[in-house]
Amino acid sequence: MRLVFVVNDAAVEIEAVAEEMALVDLLRDVLGLTGTKRGCESGTCGACSVLVDGKLTRACRTTAQDVESRHVTTIEGLRGPDGDLSDLQSAMLDHGAVQCGYCTPAMVVAAEALLHRNPSPTRAEIRSAINGILCRCTGYQQIVDAIEATSRGRGAAQSVGEAASTAHPGSSQ
Amino acid sequence: MTKLRYVGSSSLRNVDGPEKVTGQTRYVGDMTVPHMLIAKVLRSPIPHAILAELDTTPALEIPGVRAVATAADFVDQGNFGWPIKDAYILAYRKVRFVGEPIAVVAADNAAAAQAGVDAIVVHYDTLPVVSDPLRALDAGASLIPEVSPTGQGNLCNTHLVRNGDPDPLLAAAPVFFQGTYDMPHQEHAYLETEGALAIPEPDGGVTVYVNVQSPHINRNTAAMVLGVPAESVRIIQPPVGGAFGGKDDVLYQTTAQVAKLAMLAGRPVRLVLSRTESMAASYKRQAMQIHLKLGAESDGTLRAARADLIVDSGAFASTTPLSSWRATMHAAGGYRYDAVQVDMRTVYTNNGYSGAFRGFGNTQATAAIELAIDELAGNLGRDPLKFRLQNCLRRGDLTMTGAPLGSTIGLADCLEWVRNRSEWTSKRAAYDAQPADAERRYGIGVACYFHGIGLGGEGVDFATATLRVEADHSLTLTSGLTDFGQGSRTIFTLVAAEMLGVTMERIRVLRPDTYTAPDSGPTVASRASVVGGNAVRVATAKIAAMLDMSAADLLGCEPEQLVRDGEQYVGPDEEPVTFEEVVDHARELGFQLSAQGRWQVPEIEWDFERGTGVPYFGYVFGAQVAEVEVTLRTGRTRVVKMWAAHDGGRILHPKGALGQMYGGIAQGLGYALMENFQFENGIPQALDFDRYRIPRANDVPEIEGTYIETHLPEGPYGAKNLAEPVMIGAAPAIGNAFAHATGVRIRGFPLPRVAQRK
Repeated sequence: MRLVFVVNDAAVEIEAVAEEMALVDLLRDVLGLTGTKRGCESGTCGACSVLVDGKLTRACRTTAQDVESRHVTTIEGLRGPDGDLSDLQSAMLDHGAVQCGYCTPAMVVAAEALLHRNPSPTRAEIRSAINGILCRCTGYQQIVDAIEATSRGRGAAQSVGEAASTAHPGSSQ
Repeated sequence: MTKLRYVGSSSLRNVDGPEKVTGQTRYVGDMTVPHMLIAKVLRSPIPHAILAELDTTPALEIPGVRAVATAADFVDQGNFGWPIKDAYILAYRKVRFVGEPIAVVAADNAAAAQAGVDAIVVHYDTLPVVSDPLRALDAGASLIPEVSPTGQGNLCNTHLVRNGDPDPLLAAAPVFFQGTYDMPHQEHAYLETEGALAIPEPDGGVTVYVNVQSPHINRNTAAMVLGVPAESVRIIQPPVGGAFGGKDDVLYQTTAQVAKLAMLAGRPVRLVLSRTESMAASYKRQAMQIHLKLGAESDGTLRAARADLIVDSGAFASTTPLSSWRATMHAAGGYRYDAVQVDMRTVYTNNGYSGAFRGFGNTQATAAIELAIDELAGNLGRDPLKFRLQNCLRRGDLTMTGAPLGSTIGLADCLEWVRNRSEWTSKRAAYDAQPADAERRYGIGVACYFHGIGLGGEGVDFATATLRVEADHSLTLTSGLTDFGQGSRTIFTLVAAEMLGVTMERIRVLRPDTYTAPDSGPTVASRASVVGGNAVRVATAKIAAMLDMSAADLLGCEPEQLVRDGEQYVGPDEEPVTFEEVVDHARELGFQLSAQGRWQVPEIEWDFERGTGVPYFGYVFGAQVAEVEVTLRTGRTRVVKMWAAHDGGRILHPKGALGQMYGGIAQGLGYALMENFQFENGIPQALDFDRYRIPRANDVPEIEGTYIETHLPEGPYGAKNLAEPVMIGAAPAIGNAFAHATGVRIRGFPLPRVAQRK
């Protein structure tokens, strides 16, 4: 099939691709986006998690035809606004949430999906949001710490922004 | 003493964190090179059989197949292994376990490689399977190794401890306890499977990128079986996605396989194992059966212990002769005794094969003794935590082997910390009083441990590091010890930065590469921070001395008069000089600003024949408490919370150290609750993450952990080791909490799914 979709905000056209090709193979082997990892063949480990139209999705259980005309976001598309580390990525480092790093891209993707859906999750909600992604190194606690800290940071920034825009309409940017 | 900038700082970030958190890190499976072939492996579906026929010529007729290799392609049939040379790069003459590699095929793409594997003709003449370790030494048992290393059939090796004679004390003890404990196999389940990429070199050598733990041992093994000089094999270690002890022997096989294929085909070859292959082909934590006898006074004073261990090594010895030694040295736990004897036998079976896994034998040994001690305390009607405080090792005591403890002993402090933080006393009383018919039952349990530092009697325990100052005034550090996520690159960087008074950003740690990094022995035994850190310290001290002389010369003072202001050097009178000026002046003085450092653990002596001596130069200690909820109807045990304290000496990198603790506890929780790598007549019962479950975020509770800081004089800045021992208290603490909740004492893991009330 001819595939047209959006990857990390850039339009991608592939002239010929098998309809049943797994998205993880498409991303890694065709597009060279190796930040999305393979960890199992059974859809169990979550290492290949990406966003499809903002929804957390296992790229090994998604095919090329599933993403036709859709927006796919991978770890390579989740940098901060200035191309530097995002607040979440910085928090992951500050909280010691990264050891071998193999599950880390999926954890970042899952956390962004959660924080978009639920800006102030509880620790239990954070655990449930990353429950589909296996990590063998960290015991998860510092990942939860990092996501919680990011949520607080964004909440505080939001409040400051709102306060500022109330006081000085139009000047918050 | 000047204030430390990096050692002990909670704001340290792992040096390779930014590339990992942005997905830029390239693991071996992310690497491609032009004209690269893909390899696939033919593996045995049978636990024990003669390879009656093995014909690979049909594979070579498959379009796209470029090379095939079997045992016949290697020197001495690819025989390797240390300390016992009983393993093969590819199966020789027989297959000995399900998943054993028989042949490898390299082809233009994965489909052709798989078609090549499928085309290989192989006929198996099945042999009797040895799956029960207790039957492995039976007179008629089928012999598994080519040659019995002991001359006694499937007996792989033995170890012993002889510290007095416990038998009269056990016979006379007012309180006697005995129990038999079954500890299962455990799969490492690193998220990145095994992989290697080999590139043939024009000089007849080969370069291999491979996610191995110990690059130099891998190089030497590959060179031996390929029949080339060691320098013809270059091992480069890319970032490694977790190891936990599991990425050595299986990757020695993988490395030699792809190296041979690359040399045969004259093209690069990559092999990355699938999860199912990884679970079948990789070695496991040894299953152990441990029989314990304990004798105590009526007041609870422990007097004597006897332990007998049967260890299942599976088809190859791998490092089981060493980890079974560690199990032997710790089998009676971190307690005072008048007499202890231990006898351990390791046997061959067709149950996969076993080797190194976090805790290295002490995970199983401590699990058994801590379940037993708890039951003994319960039989006496004693609080199990008070019982441990009464008997635990303290300053001046001798260990269960009769050896001195070393200078820093934080065991009682760890027990006190978890008691206070967990509100042990009130919870224990509350759960003792819960209604007998409660559907959801709660319990709180404790375990403690001691763990010998470094390799001990397992071998020469040294590491080497190099440090040089580059033309742009940055510094380059090398070590043969590797970082597979535990953070050793960060530790090495912070030690060098601290000593030199420069920023961590100035220092770059090269990836281990056998062409540039000196041999440092294996990256095992939680020894990177202490042994590797000390090697960095020795190298850095040499550079620091040269720079001090240079700065003193520039500033017209004695080196002792120098003080530091940030990276600047300040003398008594003069203006400060920058690090760059000091480096440039040092070169003018003729200093090369390149140094090598080697450090070796103080020598100890263990008599393996007599079972006496000093097994380790020092110990670390810890205690953990688990609180559990057991739902009787479903039999589900949920860990509600855990508390952990570990005596790790001076903590160099607190966030990293806590990460080791939390991760270790999660692995111990998995061992207690859900992980059980079972073999039925040699057939592995679970080869994917659906059937072999490891803990998920919702399975792991909030953990409150701390490090009780002591100071190991030999350690860099006083550091001790921690990465393995922080795991070993978790499973028995959970088991003891389960017993408190249900009244059911357990004698192994995983916990029973349905608790039968007493």
